[in-house]
Amino acid sequence: MQKSDLTGAISSIKGGDLTQLSTQRVDQALQGRAAGVFVLNTDGAPGGNTTIRVRGMNSINGGNNALIVIDGLQGGNLNSLNPNDIESIEILKDASATAIYGSQGANGVILITTKNGKKGKPVIDYNFSIGAQKIRHKLDVMGAADYARTVNAYRETQNLSGPPVLVFTDAQIQEFEKNGGTDWQDEIYRTGTIQNHQLSVGGGSDNTKYMISGGYLDQKGILINSGYKRFSLRANLTSTISKHVSFGLNWAGSKEEGNSPFFGSNAVSFLGQAVNGAPRWDPTTPVYDSAGNYSVHPGGYGAYDVWNPVAGAKEPDIQNSTIRNTINTFLEFKIIEGLTLRVTGGAIIRNLNNKSYYNSKTWEGKPAQGRVGYGTVDENISSRYQNSNILTYTKQIGKLHNITIMGVAEQQYEKFKGSSLVAKKFTVDQTGIFDLGGASEVVNSSSANERTIISYLGRVNYAFADKYLLTASFRADGSSVFGQNNKWGYFPAASVAWRVSEESFMESIPLISDLKLRGSWGTTGNQAINPYQTLAKMASGYNYPYNGNATTDLGFYIQSAANPSLKWESTTQTDVGIDIGFFKNRLQITADYYKKKTKDLLLSRELPGFTGLSSIIDNVGSVENHGLELAISGDPLVGKIRWNTGFNISWNRNKVLNLGDYEKIGYRTTLGGYSVNNPFMYLVVGQPFGQMYGFGNEGTWNTKEASQAAAYGQLPGDLKFTDYNNDGVIDVEDLKVIGNAFPDFIFGWTNRVSYRSFELTFLIQGSQGNDVFNQARIRLENPYEAVSTKILNRWTQDNQNTDVPAFIDQQTRQNANLVSKIKVDQRQSRWVEDASYVRLKNITLAYDLPASLIRRIGLSKLRAYITGANLITITKYTGYDPEVSAFNDNDAQIGVDFSNYPTAKTVTVGISLSF
Amino acid sequence: MKTKNSIRYSLLVVLFAATFGCSKRLQEEPISFVAPDKFYNSPQQVESAYAASMNFLWDYWSGYSYGYGSFINDDQYYGGDLNISSSNGSDLWSAHYSAILNINTALHAVKNGNVKNATQEDLDLLIGQARFLRAYNYFMLVRMFGGVPLITDETPDPIANPLPRASVAEVYDLIVSDFTDAAAKLPSSWSDAPGKPTKGAAKGLLAKAYLTMATAPLNATENYAKAAATALEVIQSGDYSLVTNISDVFNLDNKYGPEMMWSFNSSYDDVATDPQIWAPENMDGWGDASVEPAFEQQFPEQPRKNAYLITELNGVHYTDWDVQHTPYIRKFLNISKDDFDSYSSTINFPIIRYADVLLIYAEAANMANGGPTQEAVDAVNQVIDRANGYVVNPAEPLLTTALSKEAFDDAVLEERNLELCFEFDRWFDLVRKRILDVKNPEWTANFSDDDYLFPIPETDLRLNKLLTQNPGYPTP
Repeated sequence: MQKSDLTGAISSIKGGDLTQLSTQRVDQALQGRAAGVFVLNTDGAPGGNTTIRVRGMNSINGGNNALIVIDGLQGGNLNSLNPNDIESIEILKDASATAIYGSQGANGVILITTKNGKKGKPVIDYNFSIGAQKIRHKLDVMGAADYARTVNAYRETQNLSGPPVLVFTDAQIQEFEKNGGTDWQDEIYRTGTIQNHQLSVGGGSDNTKYMISGGYLDQKGILINSGYKRFSLRANLTSTISKHVSFGLNWAGSKEEGNSPFFGSNAVSFLGQAVNGAPRWDPTTPVYDSAGNYSVHPGGYGAYDVWNPVAGAKEPDIQNSTIRNTINTFLEFKIIEGLTLRVTGGAIIRNLNNKSYYNSKTWEGKPAQGRVGYGTVDENISSRYQNSNILTYTKQIGKLHNITIMGVAEQQYEKFKGSSLVAKKFTVDQTGIFDLGGASEVVNSSSANERTIISYLGRVNYAFADKYLLTASFRADGSSVFGQNNKWGYFPAASVAWRVSEESFMESIPLISDLKLRGSWGTTGNQAINPYQTLAKMASGYNYPYNGNATTDLGFYIQSAANPSLKWESTTQTDVGIDIGFFKNRLQITADYYKKKTKDLLLSRELPGFTGLSSIIDNVGSVENHGLELAISGDPLVGKIRWNTGFNISWNRNKVLNLGDYEKIGYRTTLGGYSVNNPFMYLVVGQPFGQMYGFGNEGTWNTKEASQAAAYGQLPGDLKFTDYNNDGVIDVEDLKVIGNAFPDFIFGWTNRVSYRSFELTFLIQGSQGNDVFNQARIRLENPYEAVSTKILNRWTQDNQNTDVPAFIDQQTRQNANLVSKIKVDQRQSRWVEDASYVRLKNITLAYDLPASLIRRIGLSKLRAYITGANLITITKYTGYDPEVSAFNDNDAQIGVDFSNYPTAKTVTVGISLSF
Repeated sequence: MKTKNSIRYSLLVVLFAATFGCSKRLQEEPISFVAPDKFYNSPQQVESAYAASMNFLWDYWSGYSYGYGSFINDDQYYGGDLNISSSNGSDLWSAHYSAILNINTALHAVKNGNVKNATQEDLDLLIGQARFLRAYNYFMLVRMFGGVPLITDETPDPIANPLPRASVAEVYDLIVSDFTDAAAKLPSSWSDAPGKPTKGAAKGLLAKAYLTMATAPLNATENYAKAAATALEVIQSGDYSLVTNISDVFNLDNKYGPEMMWSFNSSYDDVATDPQIWAPENMDGWGDASVEPAFEQQFPEQPRKNAYLITELNGVHYTDWDVQHTPYIRKFLNISKDDFDSYSSTINFPIIRYADVLLIYAEAANMANGGPTQEAVDAVNQVIDRANGYVVNPAEPLLTTALSKEAFDDAVLEERNLELCFEFDRWFDLVRKRILDVKNPEWTANFSDDDYLFPIPETDLRLNKLLTQNPGYPTP
């Protein structure tokens, strides 16, 4: 299973490219390095999540994450992996490469091989780096003086029942001009430090090779009271026991501790959340009041219901801890010449223990009925075991025929057990979640599930004269989660390649040193179904005080009917590719065109209401993806100054083909309170993922258009909407596509320039054509809250050429006596921004001290470096970062910016030495 | 070498055989939940199904807890113009049928003997509750939608065996039979569960069902006598009485009696929808549910008016407010300021109460007798007297036997309008007396007889071709 497929579409990344990273995260490190691999940093929190998609989105409800295989063990995790342990990464993209992973390979496979020692005396490597992080981009909000003036200006418009009372006096405003006010973003963001230590020892003899490494990462986030620590330890050992038997053992353990708050769809409420609150808060109010307590937002204006952001950041006590143990062993037998049997056994065991407590000074835990506090505890263990038995036979027949046959029998077992609880109304605030006995309201839940997969695979690789290559494979997967009637799935694949450069006629073209044409076809699957999803279920949780007593009574209800025909989602992919090398491979180009269709997508099929159930899950949807990948790499300079460069660019187009009973499915992307309550992102038959549907804005009405505005019941200075169907009313009939979350293309450009002992590496990456719905702006530019500097450019008689609407006073509006024909909410195109960007993702300048110098102190290498991450970003997006997504439960919801942890730019200095 | 090979080969075989068992391992045996056919093994499990069935109808923001919107075309709630949308009431349809699914499955299990360690008495109590709940669900459905698919046991596969709509009469037959059986099996009261259905509640709802059958659409007037007789049983049982002071009727202390017979229940750990929906914005609320000013204007001046309605705040009449110029509903705001501010309303919402039973009796006895009897007059006067604070009030005088049958009927109907306002009752009175246009004179342009029924939900019509849509609504 570890042998890569020569005829398939695969991208490779060397481990050495990943070591000098400030972020120390493998998933982020992949960004921009491989064609066809889309990495989205959905939030900037230390230890936060990324979304990785290989060649587009296949599934709607079944999950789109690529399969991660570390040293042959499936189901690994990239966050906890120490990048310094990586020898190489291969990303399998087309069907023939991924087909060997059968019903788990449809979303692409990321194959990671970890380092092992080399024969010779032990080599000790030590790497230390320390860096600083700051927020990359702050939101543009008004200072105290402008804010006070704007609050007064809005108050003046509320003149319906008599002359309005202004909030701020001129004297106060003068004071603000002089002394400024509170910059809430400065109050909650700080310079975070990040330090990283790595130590490894590796060596070996003829028979045994070993590598032991340990790492410690301590990252303080840019938001106060947030951070992440990771301890990792690894021991890799391989040994040849006899002429016929070799053995290997890899063990890796990691402990991650994080304390960053929840965002987006996981937050309790945005009212108490610092990232949301800071730009919205009144700059005229100080952080603490005269008594030294956290100040409360004044009433009557602004974001009066939002909690003090400094309290929202500082007071929550969040302790997330994950311990992971991965163990991987193999025994390899050379049975006869050319025939080997490799038996592997592996286990991944993850213990998660997350606790959070929001005390009386937070929004979630504020006093209610004399009690305080809100806490959660989440504990679970998930374990995954795998046994693979691989029989490989390689034979060279004559001079021309080379054949390899591989047979695999594999079994996997996964088990999950967990419980969680939400506790409220504590009597003692100080002990909080650590004394659950003090909580008067505790809601518990627990769950457990398991999954078994049994698989058989056969594969043949045939090469004729090393010129004509053929690979064919067939895999059968039986999984316990598949429905009773469809327990086994079958996945065939085949690919061919022609090494044109080996042909005799190519010898007359010395320019082309390598030319290979490839084509592949195959079917892979996505397990998609959750354990027990095909069975009829009773569920708890529909409680109701049936008895009429002081506490509610438990209610169990029929949650689902059985669907024994439910099965995996299957993707059929065709790929054609070309690899060309010029100038003795000094210039290499790889290009691939792929087309894939995914069918049997899990979707809800509606049931009539009188059955008592609203829907049943069935395999009814289908989605299509096609795209082009191009990677160019080479060594333009090979003299005293050496320059190696690689550029990749990918285009992916996807289209929803079938949604079963529905023409379109809507997804809500809101936590309420922003008037985006109706579904905003839609999957529509015939359109791609990521469609945003809303009302079109066309700026504002100017005074010359007063009569047209009046026809809609509006005044000059009001927003002008697109009347799509020209019926004189702006309502749900006028919804149209106002943006799409996914890019037209993504690219990355890596460079390594070296001159004598200096080396400069940098990576520029970017995305073009992706839109983001900047939901935060809805409140920042709302006339009642009005903190954004854009409000200073609002429509007035003298400033008519703007798309920020005017403050129109109530009396004027009443006098105009118009009937409004505008029935819209905040799903508007003015909040959709182009989030295309180009970023200097990584730049490192390193200096290797000359060998003569360092040998005297016993070192074989001493390198000093300075590296920066996210230093320059070119984008028009006005939010914290163009790469953001708050709601990620489903790929159809990606593309909304709602108070996610902002991205940081980092500068790190470090040294690495070996001896 | 050969022995080494054969050892190796046998090692191979052993390895494979040992680790690869049969594909029995691909069968799922769930650890954290049960399948429905393994549930309902004890009375507690059966009652948990009943609790869940009520949860579909009354949950934090769903079902009837935020349900006034479906009935907004009556003459009490503000808003509504008799243009009934094609999705009106579709959430209630789904909620009732989800409840019915769970009730029927539980009932089937009880009758099938799945409940262990239960005496026949225990089983009778469970059956009584199931039939009560099922009858209530169908009673709401038939009044809103007309004839509906009638499911009394396991739900058939909707694709293989689609169900037609039963007739209104057939649905009422089931309702009557279920409530009658429930009335026989249920106790007058439960010693430790004041919120559970009782004999009195079953009889009260049965009387209401009879009364509705006697009026439109069935107009089976022989049921007036049955309604009167059943209501009289409740009155004479002495189990219930009116709360003396009108402003205490909806107090939290009186949630489970003496006047309340069966309600939607709330508790501090399972609160009702945020009370802010009832309060106007100048009372720190959101002003969601407001009152038609015409309703307030014809409401007689009496203590009941201020107990049930909010018409002024700090001396300012609602017509002079700078928020919406309508009255609001006070009935469901009988909670402390602390509870209001912390979004913890524990009000119950009555489904049947003693005042209703008295009025049912008065109406039924009058119609059955061809004119008001003294008992009918006494019954309605108890309600009026309490509303007036037990003083003579010319704005609403007590009734006498001197009234004609029609005049008395109108007077009782008007008393129902005033007493049972906003309790999901007025719409059904307007429908069964066929006076929707009369009571909504400003919208007669939009009125047609089709408005007396809600539309069958579009999903059901699309997926089950045997269902026919109610007249006047689109068919997909």
